[in-house]
Amino acid sequence: QDKTFDLKISHWVPASHPLQKALEDWAASVEKASGGTIKGKVFPAQQLGKAFDHYDMARDGIADVTYVNPGYQPGRFPIIGAGELPFLISDAKGGSEGLDAWYRKYAEKEMKDVKYCLAFVHTPSSFHTRTKKVVVPEDVKGMKIRPADATIANFVTLLGGTNVQSSAPEVRDIIERGVADGVTFPAGSLVLFGVDKVTKYHMDAPFYVTTFVFVMNKDKYNQMSAMQKKAIDDNCNTEAAGRVGEPWGKFEDAGVDKIKAEQGQEVYKLTPEQTASWKKASEPLFKTWADGVKKTGVDADAAMTELKASLAKYNALAQ
Amino acid sequence: MQRAYMDRIIDGIEWIAAFFVGIVALDIFLSVLLRNTLNYSIPDSFDIGRMLLGILIFWGIAATSYRGTHITVDLIWGNVGPRYQRWIDIFATLVLLFVVTVQTWTLFDKVRGTYEDNVLTFDLHMPTWPFFAIAWIGDVSAVLLIAIRTYRLIFHPEEIHDPHVKVTE
Amino acid sequence: MSTDAVAVIGFVALFALMLLRVPVGMAMGLVGVSGFAYLVNGTAALKLVGQTSMRTVTDYTFGVIPMFLLMGTFVSNSGMSRELFRAANGFVGHLRGGLGIATVAACGGFAAICGSSVATAATFSAVAYPEMRRFGYPQSFATGVIAAGGTLGAMLPPSTVLAVYGIITEQDIGKLFIAGIIPGLLAMTMYMITITVIGRVRPDFLPKGEAPPWRERIAGLKGIWAPMLLFLFVIGGLYGLPFLPRFTPTEAGGVGATGAFLIGLFTGRLDKDKILASLLQATRTAAAVFTVLIGALIFGYFLTVTQTPQKVTEFLTGLGLGPYGVLALIMVMYLVLGCLMDAMAMIILTVPIIFPVISHLGFDPIWFGVIIVMTVELGLIHPPVGMNVFVIKSVVKDVSFSTIFKGVLPFVATDLIRLVILIAFPLLATWLPQQMMNR
Ligand code: NA
Ligand code: NA
Repeated sequence: QDKTFDLKISHWVPASHPLQKALEDWAASVEKASGGTIKGKVFPAQQLGKAFDHYDMARDGIADVTYVNPGYQPGRFPIIGAGELPFLISDAKGGSEGLDAWYRKYAEKEMKDVKYCLAFVHTPSSFHTRTKKVVVPEDVKGMKIRPADATIANFVTLLGGTNVQSSAPEVRDIIERGVADGVTFPAGSLVLFGVDKVTKYHMDAPFYVTTFVFVMNKDKYNQMSAMQKKAIDDNCNTEAAGRVGEPWGKFEDAGVDKIKAEQGQEVYKLTPEQTASWKKASEPLFKTWADGVKKTGVDADAAMTELKASLAKYNALAQ
Repeated sequence: MQRAYMDRIIDGIEWIAAFFVGIVALDIFLSVLLRNTLNYSIPDSFDIGRMLLGILIFWGIAATSYRGTHITVDLIWGNVGPRYQRWIDIFATLVLLFVVTVQTWTLFDKVRGTYEDNVLTFDLHMPTWPFFAIAWIGDVSAVLLIAIRTYRLIFHPEEIHDPHVKVTE
Repeated sequence: MSTDAVAVIGFVALFALMLLRVPVGMAMGLVGVSGFAYLVNGTAALKLVGQTSMRTVTDYTFGVIPMFLLMGTFVSNSGMSRELFRAANGFVGHLRGGLGIATVAACGGFAAICGSSVATAATFSAVAYPEMRRFGYPQSFATGVIAAGGTLGAMLPPSTVLAVYGIITEQDIGKLFIAGIIPGLLAMTMYMITITVIGRVRPDFLPKGEAPPWRERIAGLKGIWAPMLLFLFVIGGLYGLPFLPRFTPTEAGGVGATGAFLIGLFTGRLDKDKILASLLQATRTAAAVFTVLIGALIFGYFLTVTQTPQKVTEFLTGLGLGPYGVLALIMVMYLVLGCLMDAMAMIILTVPIIFPVISHLGFDPIWFGVIIVMTVELGLIHPPVGMNVFVIKSVVKDVSFSTIFKGVLPFVATDLIRLVILIAFPLLATWLPQQMMNR
C-alpha cells in the first residue's frame, strides 16, 4: 500500500485566472494516475508566499508544487531566458511544447535543486498603449513603458524608452495616472486587470512571450513509490506542457477579440518590413542572452539553434 | 566609560537607519523629477530604492528593539506594580532576543542564497547580494542591541529609558 | 491533533504572548512559524522566516509607509500646526466654543499633510490646549476636542493605517486615500456641529471671544500656504489633478517628504536638530510597523495552512444574519478589541481573517477600508485604552484620564452616528475614487 500525499500547490495569480483551473486539472490528473494516493490543493493569490519566492518555496518545502516565472530574478536562470526574446515564439501550445522539449536537459543544470516538472509560455503578446501607436522600433523612443520582464526592459532602454516598474494589479493604475504610456501584456490579462479601459492601441504581433515553469519539492518526490513517481512523471512531460499552455493561450487570444469588439480600440498587425525592422533592432538582446549563458559553461549558439529547431518542430517558430 | 561607548554604538546604529530613510526619499524624489522633466529614468532606481528600504528597516528594527518602541499590548503591564512590570519586561525581551536571533540566522541563509543564485538588478545587472548583506548586518546589530537591553534590564534597570507613550500610528 | 485545534492553540498562545508585552509582530512571527513547523515541517518553517522578512522589507510598494511617516515628522517638527490654528482661529475663534471649532479645522488641515492621528493629537495638545485654557475653556472639553480632532489624521489622506490596510488587502492605496476625503470632511463638519450644540445647550460651559478685524484674518491666511501647497501637490498628484505630475502612492510619499523637508529648510523652520529628529522618529515608527507586517505575513501563512479564514467566512456567513448582521457583529468585535490594543496592531491582526468575509458578502473593499479605519480610530479615543488620550495626557500633565474621556464622550457619540451614515450611504466613500477612474 502506497503512502498518501497531500500536495500544496501554490501560485500567485488571482483564483479567477485560467492558471487556477490548469493547476486543478493537473492535480486531478495526478490523483487519477496515482490511484487516488496523491491529492493536491491549489493555493492561489500568494496565500503561501510572494510571487518572486515561488522557486525557493518549492525548493525549501514551503509548498510542494509551485508555478514560477524564472524571469522575475534576472541572472538566476539565464538559459530559459531564451524564451523571452522578441519575435521568436508564435504560438502558445506549440511554443510551450517546443520550449519544454528543448529545456529539459538544461533544467537539470539550471534548476537542479528542485524536481523540474514542465515549462510553458503564455500566448505571443505585445504593446498596448494609451496615446501613441507603436508600429516601428523608433516609436518607442521617449515612451514610458511597463515591461513584462527584464528582457523587454532592456529592449525598451535600447530603443530610447523609459521603463516604469509595477506589479500586475497596479498596471491599470499607472497607465491611468500617466505614470506609464503603455505596457507589454497578454491581451486576456489586459482585460482581466481592466487595463483595456485605459489603453487604445494594441499591436497584434508575436513581440514576446513570458516563460513559466512548474517545479516540485525534491524530497517529496523522492519519498514517493515507483508507481507514484510515474504518476508525477506522466504529468511532467512535454505533452503536459502543451496541455497547460494551450487553454491559457486560448484565454489570452480571446482577449484580442474582446478588445476588438470594444468601442474606440485599434488593434493592428505589422507588415513583413515592419517585423523585419523589429527583428533587426532586437539583435543585441540575443547577444546579451548568449553572453549570460556562456558564463554558465553552455554553448549558447548551439542552444539557440536547438531551440529554433524544437520550436519549428512544434510549428511555433515566429517567421 | 564602557557604558558611554555602548551608548555611542547604539546612537550610531540609529543614525545609519535614519540616514537611509532620507536616501530613499531622495531616490524617489529624483526619479519622479527626472521622469517628469527630462523623461529620463535612473537605471535601477526601483531596485535600488527597494533594497535601500530593506536596509533602513533592518537597521531601524535594531534601534526600535533597543529603545523599546515596538508595538505592544500594554493592558496588563500598565495595571501592575513596578516589580511585575520588570518581570514582564525581562520575559518580553528574552522572547524578542530569541525571535530576532532566529530571524538573523535564517536571513543569513537568504543572503547566501542571493549570492549563490547570482540574482542581479533589473537594468544594470548589478549583483544584489551586497545590499542584502548590508541589511543583514542591521539585523545582526539588532541581536547585539537586544542582548545589551536584556543585560541592562536584568542588572542595570536604571539605565533603561523606554518612552511612556509609543507613537505607532 | 486536528488543524482546527492547532489554530485555536495558536491564537491562545498569541494572545498570551501579546499580553505579556512581547512585541505584537514578534509574537505573531513566533506563533506562526511554530504552527507552520508543526503542520508542515521545521526546515520549511525556518526558511519561511528568512524569505518573508527579506521580501517584506524590500517590497517597493511598502515604501509608502516610511515615506508618509517621514513627511509627517517633517511637517510636525516644522510647526505648521501653529499657522493653521491661527488662521482658523481668525475666522471662527469669536463664536461660542469657537476655539474648539478652530481646533477641529486646524486638525483637519494638519491631517491633510500628516498620516498619523496620534501625531495630530500630540501636536495640537501643545498648540491648541494652552490657548483654550487661557480663554477659560474647561479642561475636559479642551482635551476631548483634541483627542477627537486627532483622529482626522488617519481619516483624511495621507493615512498610515489606510496604507497598511491597502498593503494587507492588496487594494490601491491611492484610491483608499482619496476615499477618506469625504468621510474626513464629514467628520470635521459633525465635530463642529457637536461643539455648537454643546455651546447652545450649556452657554456657561463654553466662552465666546471677540471677532478680529478682517485685516488680521487675511494676514492669518497667508501663513497656511505651505500645508496647502503640500496637500495640493501630493494628494492632487495622487488623484490626478490636471497640470500636476502623476504619482503612485510610494512616489507621492517620497515627494511629500522631500517637499516638506525643502519647505521647512527654506523657511528656516527646520534646523539640524529637527531634521535629525524627524529622520529618527520616522525610522523608529517604520521599523515598528514593518516588524508587525512581517509577523503578520508569517502568521498568515500558518493560518492559510489551517484554512482558518475560509472556516471563519463559512461560519459567519452561515449564521443567517445577512450581510449587515455580520457587519454589525464585526464592528462590535472591533469596538471590544479597541479596549485592548492600538489601531495598527488591530488592523494587521484582524484584517487577514475579516477581509475574506467582507469580500464574500459583496461589500466594497475600498469602502470597508474607510469603515474599518473609522472603527479602529474610535478605539483610540474610547476608554479604557486610547492612544490619543495617552498622548494628550503625556503632553498635558495636569489632567486625569477620566477628565479626558468625559470630554471625548460627545465626539464618540458623533462618530457612532457617522459610522451609521457611512454604512447607509457607501457612496460617500466610493464616489470620489470612482472619479479617479474616469479621467
Ligand atoms: Na492624514
Ligand atoms: Na480604546
